[in-house]
Amino acid sequence: MEKALLRRKRVAVGVGSRLTWGQIGFLWTMVMPVIAMFIIIRVIPILVVLLMSFTNYSLHRPIVKFLPYKNFLRMFGDPNFITAFVNSTEFVLIAVPAEIFLGLAFAIFLNRKVKFESLYETLYFLPYIVPMVPAAIIWKWIYAPGTYGLANYLLDKVGLPHVGWMSTPQISLLAVIGIHVWKQIGFFVIIFLVGLKNIPGSFREAALVDGATPWEVTRHVDIPLLKPVILFGVVMATLWAWSAFTEVYIISQGTDISTGAEIQVMVTRIYAEGFLYFKLGYASAISFALFLISLIFVVVQFRLLKTEKI
Amino acid sequence: MIKRHLEKKLSGRIGLHLFLGITSFLTVSPFIWVVFTSFKPSNEIVTETPRLLPAVWTLENYLKLPKVAPFMRFFLNSIIISGVSTFCIALGSAACGYVFAKYRFRGKDFLFGLVIATILIPLQTYIVPLYLLTWKLGWINTYQGMIFPLIIMSSGIFFLRQNIMSIPDTLIDAARVDGATEWRVFFSIILPLSVSAIAAISIVNWVYTWSLFIWPLIVANSTEMFTMELGLMYFQREFAVDYGGIMAACVITLLPVLAVFLIFRTRIIEGVAFTGIKR
Repeated sequence: MEKALLRRKRVAVGVGSRLTWGQIGFLWTMVMPVIAMFIIIRVIPILVVLLMSFTNYSLHRPIVKFLPYKNFLRMFGDPNFITAFVNSTEFVLIAVPAEIFLGLAFAIFLNRKVKFESLYETLYFLPYIVPMVPAAIIWKWIYAPGTYGLANYLLDKVGLPHVGWMSTPQISLLAVIGIHVWKQIGFFVIIFLVGLKNIPGSFREAALVDGATPWEVTRHVDIPLLKPVILFGVVMATLWAWSAFTEVYIISQGTDISTGAEIQVMVTRIYAEGFLYFKLGYASAISFALFLISLIFVVVQFRLLKTEKI
Repeated sequence: MIKRHLEKKLSGRIGLHLFLGITSFLTVSPFIWVVFTSFKPSNEIVTETPRLLPAVWTLENYLKLPKVAPFMRFFLNSIIISGVSTFCIALGSAACGYVFAKYRFRGKDFLFGLVIATILIPLQTYIVPLYLLTWKLGWINTYQGMIFPLIIMSSGIFFLRQNIMSIPDTLIDAARVDGATEWRVFFSIILPLSVSAIAAISIVNWVYTWSLFIWPLIVANSTEMFTMELGLMYFQREFAVDYGGIMAACVITLLPVLAVFLIFRTRIIEGVAFTGIKR
């Protein structure tokens, strides 16, 4: 009797490492296909990128040769790659601090029990949700030359000289970074705001009772407690800045800097080598460099979170 | 003294609202500008003295769109791609979430690790082999080719697992003891109890796939396979000086996303905040 009950219980919970036949059936029909897709779509391509980066694979060439280091050597002598790498680095160095700083500022102000909080939140968040293509096209038009573009028109109004937004490469890159930052800020406002709301109110009240000003509360209570979220935000911002593509692609089409060579970044380089010239081996090598940089950030992120938990 | 304190507090409040109001207005001002511009006749758009509101309201920019590019087709393509992708992700993430939350078997941690390991790796880094795979399968310029990389979502599985973990085991056990099959448990207990989590990841995925640009850009190469984003890009390349038309096309591309966003605002923010803070 007791044995039967026990067995019944076992069937119910699927105790130990034993699954019932029904569970095995569910596992193989519903879950394993998804896992298989993960392997086919993600794991294998990531491994193949590594392999391909050591070859001269090209859609135009039937014979594939193994080149242990040539692609990587070529990268360092390729002016296009160097421009892209330098531009991407500039992208990261400007976009990440700007996004984190502005996102944090907006979140901290929003967290001061303001009226219409959700309205402001929605407005900041709007660009994040909108597709990049129309957003970049709109900005491109704002940056248009002469007084046709809103940006120059407004500069005109306040008596400042026109800026060659789309004709001076240095400024164009900054303009693209501006679009990227404008678009991503909403994400950081949201995650920082959620993080701030998770901080118990008693912490802040205690500090206020002790006579701290709101600014001191922010500095000595909010920001230290928000550190894990800020670190996460830095990692996400960095990954997104490294893998920026659409905004650069749209802006470099048909502008004065028509080839876009001066404002190219890592992913536009992958796109050009791989899908315009079909040099898939070399494109893989660049992808692999991008992957390595991303991986370093992911690993650092997990390390930081782990130490944070203990 | 008290009055002064209150005054100071009030001016602080006003300053706060001024700051938030101005910055949030600046954030959305490009959209406002575009919407009004799309209703202007062309002589009001390309002018030395632009004004915010159109002097003459016109629909001409919108009415000419279907004549110059098949935007309806682009729209349908985007719906098909986002729809199939979101359906697969909703169902797959719920099933995986259920198994990872409630089953105990050897290798589970390994499989879960496999799913989570790739969570932050951008598509851009492995896009070359993915393209090659699509090419070998003969799926270039097809729906299946455009959709298949979009049917999995690591953070979706993670999110659903967290949610399903909070469903009490006793509920599931009771159903099993009563003779319910695993399918029955999944469809009548797990799915109904995680509807809001599924909705959150579905909307986040919908917005992501709707906005995705680089994958359709390399896989779709004929006009009838274009998504909204691609169609818009080609339109602005072909008609570079027709600002009115381009702005109207932008508004049409933005509208579905804005509508979804305004309807599901809380869910989206919740979903994004989650995919942000995933522990």
